[in-house]
Amino acid sequence: MNNLDLLDRTDTINGLLARYGVKFGIYKNGTFKEQLFPFDAIPRVIEKEEFAYLERGLKQRVAALNLFLKDIYNEKKIVKDGVVPEDFVYAASGYLVPCEGVTPPKGVFSHISGIDLVLGKDGVWYILEDNLRVPSGASYPMIARELCRRASPRTFNETAIEDNRNYARILKHTLDYVNTGGLSVVMTPGRYNAAYFEHSYLAEQMRIPLVTYSDLEVENDYLYFKGYAGKRERVGAVYRRISDEYMDPMNFNPESVIGVPHIFDVYRKGHVALLNAPGNGIADDKGIYYFVPKMIQYYLGEEPVLHNAPTYLPFYEEDMKYVLEKFDTLVLKDVAEAGGYGVVFGSKMTKEQKEKFIAMLKAEPRRFIAQEVIDFCDIPIQDRGQIVERKADLRAFVLTAEEPVVWKSGLTRFSRNPDSFIVNSSQGGGFKDTWVLSQ
Amino acid sequence: MGTKSVINTDRLYWLGRYSERVYTTLRLFGKSFDELIEQLTEADYSRFCSTLDIPNIYTDKDDFIARYAFDLTDPNSIISNLTRAYDNAIELREEIGSETLSYIQMALYSMQKAKEDQAPAIEFQDVTDDILAFWGIVDDQIDDENTRNIIKVGKRVERLDLYTRLRMNRVDINREVQRLAGRIDRCSLRYRTQSIIELLDAVQAPELDYPAILKSVESILEV
Amino acid sequence: METLSFHYHLSICFDAPVHDHHFTLRCFPGSDERQRIDRLQITIYPNEFFSDSFDSFGNRCIVGRAGQPHTHFSADVTGDAVTGLSDRVPEGNPWREHLFRQQTQLTWPDEELVSFADSLPTYSNPLDTARAVMEAIGKKITYTSGVTNVDTTAAEAFLLGKGVCQDYSHIMLSVLRHKKIMARYVVGMLMGEGLSHAWVEVKDGSGWYGFDPTNQLLVTDQHIKISHGRDYRDCRINQGHFYGLGKQTQEVSVLVRRKEAVTA
Repeated sequence: MNNLDLLDRTDTINGLLARYGVKFGIYKNGTFKEQLFPFDAIPRVIEKEEFAYLERGLKQRVAALNLFLKDIYNEKKIVKDGVVPEDFVYAASGYLVPCEGVTPPKGVFSHISGIDLVLGKDGVWYILEDNLRVPSGASYPMIARELCRRASPRTFNETAIEDNRNYARILKHTLDYVNTGGLSVVMTPGRYNAAYFEHSYLAEQMRIPLVTYSDLEVENDYLYFKGYAGKRERVGAVYRRISDEYMDPMNFNPESVIGVPHIFDVYRKGHVALLNAPGNGIADDKGIYYFVPKMIQYYLGEEPVLHNAPTYLPFYEEDMKYVLEKFDTLVLKDVAEAGGYGVVFGSKMTKEQKEKFIAMLKAEPRRFIAQEVIDFCDIPIQDRGQIVERKADLRAFVLTAEEPVVWKSGLTRFSRNPDSFIVNSSQGGGFKDTWVLSQ
Repeated sequence: MGTKSVINTDRLYWLGRYSERVYTTLRLFGKSFDELIEQLTEADYSRFCSTLDIPNIYTDKDDFIARYAFDLTDPNSIISNLTRAYDNAIELREEIGSETLSYIQMALYSMQKAKEDQAPAIEFQDVTDDILAFWGIVDDQIDDENTRNIIKVGKRVERLDLYTRLRMNRVDINREVQRLAGRIDRCSLRYRTQSIIELLDAVQAPELDYPAILKSVESILEV
Repeated sequence: METLSFHYHLSICFDAPVHDHHFTLRCFPGSDERQRIDRLQITIYPNEFFSDSFDSFGNRCIVGRAGQPHTHFSADVTGDAVTGLSDRVPEGNPWREHLFRQQTQLTWPDEELVSFADSLPTYSNPLDTARAVMEAIGKKITYTSGVTNVDTTAAEAFLLGKGVCQDYSHIMLSVLRHKKIMARYVVGMLMGEGLSHAWVEVKDGSGWYGFDPTNQLLVTDQHIKISHGRDYRDCRINQGHFYGLGKQTQEVSVLVRRKEAVTA
């Protein structure tokens, strides 16, 4: 790939990103700081055919996840038929009782799905996790593309790349599709949220208001946007970038001061669409992840196109046996999120730690999943004038209105640290544009 | 966009005010800075402070240069006012657009650079350029008339406020009063008609009563 | 069968005005197979905006907002209840009801409670088990008010050996769920009781049967059911969210009387 011209302009592009305030917020020692999100100009390139394959798999996966959510909060056939054990549903932190029996407008639960993938050294793409609550990140490659085109028009003249700047249009369509009548708005927890840039940028690009809790109110079963001088307008769709827990102090965490009281009651009556639907956490739960390929078979009668990382559930005796046997080669994840053990590598434990962990595993098998450690492909980045290889993942975005649509791009995040598997932006990593070739 | 939230209306207005405050005080400071190079005295910057109605907290002229321009902990410093403009602007991206917002962002970057520089006047020029470009783009690219006019009313109110404090002459004050009076009706801001009438009368009076004008300016917006 | 008349009264006083007061009330008995509610009257003050709703358990709620400043809030619910029409309430979606087998934060048993549960017999009929559990709890716990509060867990109350109807019910739920029996928390009114009451429903086959561990009674025709859920938190009678510095004092009174026979 000849994109030397683009690489030469890395500083220019980062300058432009700074100019447009492409930042994320972090708290360091209790104070809020805005940091630039470092951009690496070497794109991640996905060939046309390869992306078509990913697209097929992602659509299939998101379609199944949506069916799962609809089923789990209503009939529960998948539990009844013994495909997913009930303990994995009712005891999961992402399962929200208030959502029982509530079907969102047009039956869509996961409007915006962020699916994290990695490419293994074996050439196979593996799904790392599904993010069906408030996945963020689409705005970064979107604005980076805009600025790269400005900085190096030649590159884009010479290479046939799918334009990714249509994200806002697809997103707006997704909002319009489920809108129950009235305005569509983006709701942000506020400026001090890590993804505030994205909230404001997407609102701008969709040309709809960006609001916080104080701009909204519920009255007589409807939601309103409060305007200056007593004006107000009905709201029909809220793209809310605030978690379920904080969304409505009357129905979820009563301590929340950034929610809209009774917004969930309006939603329950079908008078407003919330994107994504509350309660989606049950479908992107670490324990449920194991069952996604089974869901695809169960709901769609199809073989999964994309692979999970090989995963074992100690909950099943057979898997427990395997996990104990191969303990040193596996990575273990605590399904309980808050206050949990997090992610641990069997190979990195001392003998004592291992014994303690295994005792806990045997006592509470449902709490853990075990996975093979995937040896993933490194990708090139620029580091102080040199090109080096680093770990990276890809977050693909699937937007669901009439049917799932895969955005022809994605957020590629990489770690700066050569030893790190963690590609989290708050840990000094950066991002890349993701090019999907159109020829 | 039809309905505008209470808080965004307020932010647009203050974005207008702070951008103007930075622009005008920077010009004044630039003039002082030029004089400072050889002969500015304590009395000079003390007069500067009292004209602008800010406390003279500065120990000497170097302290004045450093802090009045760049001290973030001094609420009256230019950088503090610019930061307030930025704080309002950053929450208005979807109202004013990323392009418009970027000029305030760049003004802040220039100001931060000026702070590190031995010859800050060069960067001050950049800050001024950015603010002028910001006003230009407000006029040129913000389609919504109401949004545009709220910012401009903020700017006019601030300028009138500053010019009055600076005891500018009748021609200048009159021009600003006329501009404000012509603009304020063209946006959704609720204001006191009485204050505008007072101002229009004040500029006709044989002697300009600056304190009275200031009082009228301060009471324009309904709280 | 009984015909009871009831009056549920809730009042909240604020020592300074509050405003934008959002509330959800869950204090409205409904008709089912076991009870029929007639002449239901609801009075809410202030009554600026409110509307009817049902929560995910099917409990009737009234959600509303009192925007203007006020120092007093009240709800009065009156009506007649014909009770004891059946000894059970029919099931809803059976697979959804499996969630009543899951412990909650309030019912989660500690080691003590687990060994207590394991020491009690498990019969093939869950109702027999429930009866044995109820009796054992009756012997273990002494009714004492003021020693526990709304956040007290089953394990904490069990350790104390004391508590009120909420604690009796939570302990019973904890033991039954430990035995994989579906059981749920019920809020209602009881004849002769001046406050709202709590008891337990246990699932057997396709129906739910009421047990009142506090009074060591099967639920027959003296109880008027208001709501059910996994534990106390799902059945809160009043939830509020308001602005203002007022401290609140809440007062609840319940009056249930046998209605004089009226020939229809």
